[in-house]
Amino acid sequence: MLTSMTKTDFQKPKTVEEAVTLLKEAGDDARPISGGATLVALMNARLVQPSRLVSLSAIDELTQCTYQSDGSVRIGAMRRHRQTAFESNLKAAHQVVSGAASQIANPPVRNMGTIGGSISFADPAADYPPSLVAANAEIEIAGPEGRRRIPAEEFFLGWYETALEPGEIVTAVILPPVSESSVGQYEKLCRIAGDFALASVAVTIDFNASNTVTSLRLAVGGCGGGPIRVEAAEQALIGTKLELDAVVDAAELVVAELDPIDDVRGSAEYRLKVVPRLLQRAFNNLVETREPAQ
Amino acid sequence: MSQPVTLTVNGKTSDVSCGATTTLLTVLRDTLALTGSKRGCNQGVCGACTVLVDGAPMRSCLTLAANIEGQNITTIEGLPEGGDLKPIQQAIIDSDAVQCGFCTSGMILTAHEFLQRNSNPSIDEIRTALSGNICRCSGYRKIVDAVALAASRGGA
Ligand SMILES: Cc1cc2nc3c(=O)[nH]c(=O)nc-3n(C[C@H](O)[C@H](O)[C@H](O)COP(=O)(O)OP(=O)(O)OC[C@H]3O[C@@H](n4cnc5c(N)ncnc54)[C@H](O)[C@@H]3O)c2cc1C
Ligand code: FES
Ligand code: FES
Repeated sequence: MLTSMTKTDFQKPKTVEEAVTLLKEAGDDARPISGGATLVALMNARLVQPSRLVSLSAIDELTQCTYQSDGSVRIGAMRRHRQTAFESNLKAAHQVVSGAASQIANPPVRNMGTIGGSISFADPAADYPPSLVAANAEIEIAGPEGRRRIPAEEFFLGWYETALEPGEIVTAVILPPVSESSVGQYEKLCRIAGDFALASVAVTIDFNASNTVTSLRLAVGGCGGGPIRVEAAEQALIGTKLELDAVVDAAELVVAELDPIDDVRGSAEYRLKVVPRLLQRAFNNLVETREPAQ
Repeated sequence: MSQPVTLTVNGKTSDVSCGATTTLLTVLRDTLALTGSKRGCNQGVCGACTVLVDGAPMRSCLTLAANIEGQNITTIEGLPEGGDLKPIQQAIIDSDAVQCGFCTSGMILTAHEFLQRNSNPSIDEIRTALSGNICRCSGYRKIVDAVALAASRGGA
């Protein structure tokens, strides 16, 4: 038999507080389970054998996505990728996040995987991490000491490592208010449909009435241990109208900050070549979304 | 540690006893003898194990049986209604879209749900909808034709 009867115990609490207590009780080998699309695959391959599984599926609070009165959007940790891809609360720059969600894996896996599970696992080639850094999101975390919030940039520590302490879980992703004139774009390059990113680029931009960039955030995925934000390139693009020269110069600043490796998806050299093209594509596409071609 | 789990599969409720890490696929095949769902990769990649959970296609190899009590599971065995094949099943037969058959049940369940959402799909949309299901025999052409045929007949 492929899955043997293990000593794992299974719990399905109704509240975050219960979940945290159940995890704490069982110690280091306990694991929360959300979509299971990574954790069950790891268990099937016998790479992990948790002492306790705490399912987060029955916790109502985690399954909601809400637009809050201050204009921020709170995405519960258990929201599936498919829900986030079609989320009507995500408008303007927030679409960098729905855009990333719509490009994760394939349709059946998008029905399963969750935003909380994805960012907690923190695969360096995953789609949400760069999009959340570009969106200036905050991650809400619950643990034995209560709740805390940290910026996405401080959450991803690189190579499957996050700022989660043992016993803590992600409860929500919070996207700050955005102006109607802002836009967000996510571009991913992968070998075949449904694969993780070889490289990806996430940008959010706001403009003034004369189409000059007033704010911009940019992050790259798949080119290092975690999402890489390049502030020098952001600064170089603020005040421009995203003219080709400005974008080409900024892309050089981006490439200088990347730290890709050679792996089965592509060589480091190839990744450094495609990132400037992905950036160009992101800017082209979002300018088009903003001003439909004449 | 084995525990009792109540599953609703193809409208029928069964009590099974399984471990916390036992997958739905294992229960379907080994306990309920519903072997239409296939185990290809056991890693979520190939799609051969795809079933509908509350109507949505999901990987049964990545779904823990203990985690889906109370949800409605549909396997290929439960897709025909009152013995009548669904339009997509008939179209797969009429298009000769089965070779070894290993991918077929996952393809059909995925396409069935897709056609319920999109009754007039383009070829590109069909290919995207089936992009998470791998077929090592057919070259996909006849499977895509079959989905288009079912749509042209107005069914799912
Ligand atoms: C075939 C396939 C293709 C994929 N392709 C892509 C892709 O292209 N891009 C991409 O970004 N992803 C991809 N994924 C990953 C997938 O989309 C999910 O993001 C991933 O499975 C994790 O989400 P989950 O909800 O399934 O987490 P789970 O598998 O339930 O958990 C993953 C890990 O995080 C922990 N965890 C879960 N929830 C929480 C929480 N709330 N707080 C703290 N820890 C938690 C678990 O203990 C476990 O260690 C792919 C997966 C598969 C199987
Ligand atoms: S066996 Fe489940 S996806 Fe391959
Ligand atoms: S018919 Fe053999 S895998 Fe598709």
